[in-house]
Amino acid sequence: MSLAIKTTEQRALKLAIIKGAVDLMPLNLAVLPWGVLVGSLAIQQGFSVFEAQLMSALVYAGAAQLVAIELMSNNASILTLIATIFVISSRHFLYGLTLRNKLKLLPAKTRIATAFVLTDELFAYSGHKRAYMTKVRIYYGLSAGFSFYIAWNCWTFIGIVAGSFLPDLTQMGLDFAIAVTFIALVIPSIKSVSILIAVLSSAITALVLHLYSVELELIIAAFVGMSAGYLSKGLDNTSSNKDFDHKGSDDKCCENTGIDSKGSDCKDIAKEASL
Amino acid sequence: MTLLTILLLAVITFTTRYLFTHPTLPITLNANAQKFLSYSAPCVLTAIWVPIIFAKDHQLVVDAASPYIWGAAIAIVAAKYTKSIYFTAIAGGVVFVALRIFSSY
Repeated sequence: MSLAIKTTEQRALKLAIIKGAVDLMPLNLAVLPWGVLVGSLAIQQGFSVFEAQLMSALVYAGAAQLVAIELMSNNASILTLIATIFVISSRHFLYGLTLRNKLKLLPAKTRIATAFVLTDELFAYSGHKRAYMTKVRIYYGLSAGFSFYIAWNCWTFIGIVAGSFLPDLTQMGLDFAIAVTFIALVIPSIKSVSILIAVLSSAITALVLHLYSVELELIIAAFVGMSAGYLSKGLDNTSSNKDFDHKGSDDKCCENTGIDSKGSDCKDIAKEASL
Repeated sequence: MTLLTILLLAVITFTTRYLFTHPTLPITLNANAQKFLSYSAPCVLTAIWVPIIFAKDHQLVVDAASPYIWGAAIAIVAAKYTKSIYFTAIAGGVVFVALRIFSSY
C-alpha cells in the first residue's frame, strides 16, 4: 500500500519536473541571444573564459551582468559598480516579498535554491495561489528555475566560444525576443479591470522614466502600477476578483499567467500531490 | 581582482532575491499587502517590455514603420486570443523580422 503511494508520488514529482522545464522552454529560448551576448561581450572586454562563465554561474542576471561587464572593462569604481548593480537588481526584492508567505515556510536549502534562481522569468511562473506550497509545486518551481539557469549558462558558453566570430548582436533587434515573451506572459493575465489599470499605469510610467533615464525606472513604475491596481480594486466585480487571486482557478495551472498549457497534466499533478 | 568583484556582484544579486524570503525577518504581510503585491508580476514585466518597444537609446520611437510596434501589436492580439506563448512569439517575431527586412527600417 505504502509502496503504491510512493510510486504515485514519484510519478507526480517526475511530471512536475518535466512540466517545469517544458513551461520555461519558450523563455529559455528567448534569452539565447542575451546569453550569447553576455558571453561574447565578456571575452571581448578581456575577461578570461573562467571569469566569463563564472559570472553567469554565480551572478546569474541578464541586464545586471551586461552593465557590470561594461563598467568593469571601463575600470569604473567599485562603488559605482555596487550601486548600479544594486539598482538594476532591486526589483527582485519585490519578488521575494510577493512570495514571502510561501517561501518562508520552505526548508532552508530549498528556500535558498529557489531564491537563487528567482529571476523575472521564474517569478512570472510563480503566481499560482498554491505555488511552492506542495512538494510537487516546489519541484515544479525548482525545475523551471534551474532549467532557465542551465539554459542561460549554455548560451553564455556559446557566446564565450563563438564570441569573436559573431556580428554585433546589440544592433540586431534581439531585444524584441524578450519583449514578445513578456507580452505573451502579461496579456493573458489581464483578467480584471484593476489589473488592466495596473499594467497601463506601469507601462506609461516606465516609458516616461526611461525617456528621462531615471535609474530606478523599473521599481518606480512597478510601484505606480501596483498602487493604481490596488486603488482600483473596487472596480472589479466579485467573480473576476475571485479569478484574479493569482489568476488561477484552482487546478487550472501551475502558473499565474493564465496560460493554460497542458492544464490537464497540471490537474493530475495537483491531484496526485494531495495523496 | 576580477574574481573578487564577480563574487561581490553575486552576493548583491543573491541578496536582492533572497532577503525577503528569510523566515526570521520581522515582516508580516496582511491580506491588503498581499493584494497589493499580487499586481507585481504584470507590472514589473510590463515595465521591462514597454521601453523595449517604444524607445531606442532613451529616445521615444513612435513610427508607423516601426517593426517593434507592429510586432508588439500583433503579439498582443495573438496573446489575447490564443494565450499561447509559442504562437504569440512566432506571430510577433515573424512580423518583426519581415518588417526589418522589407522596410529597411
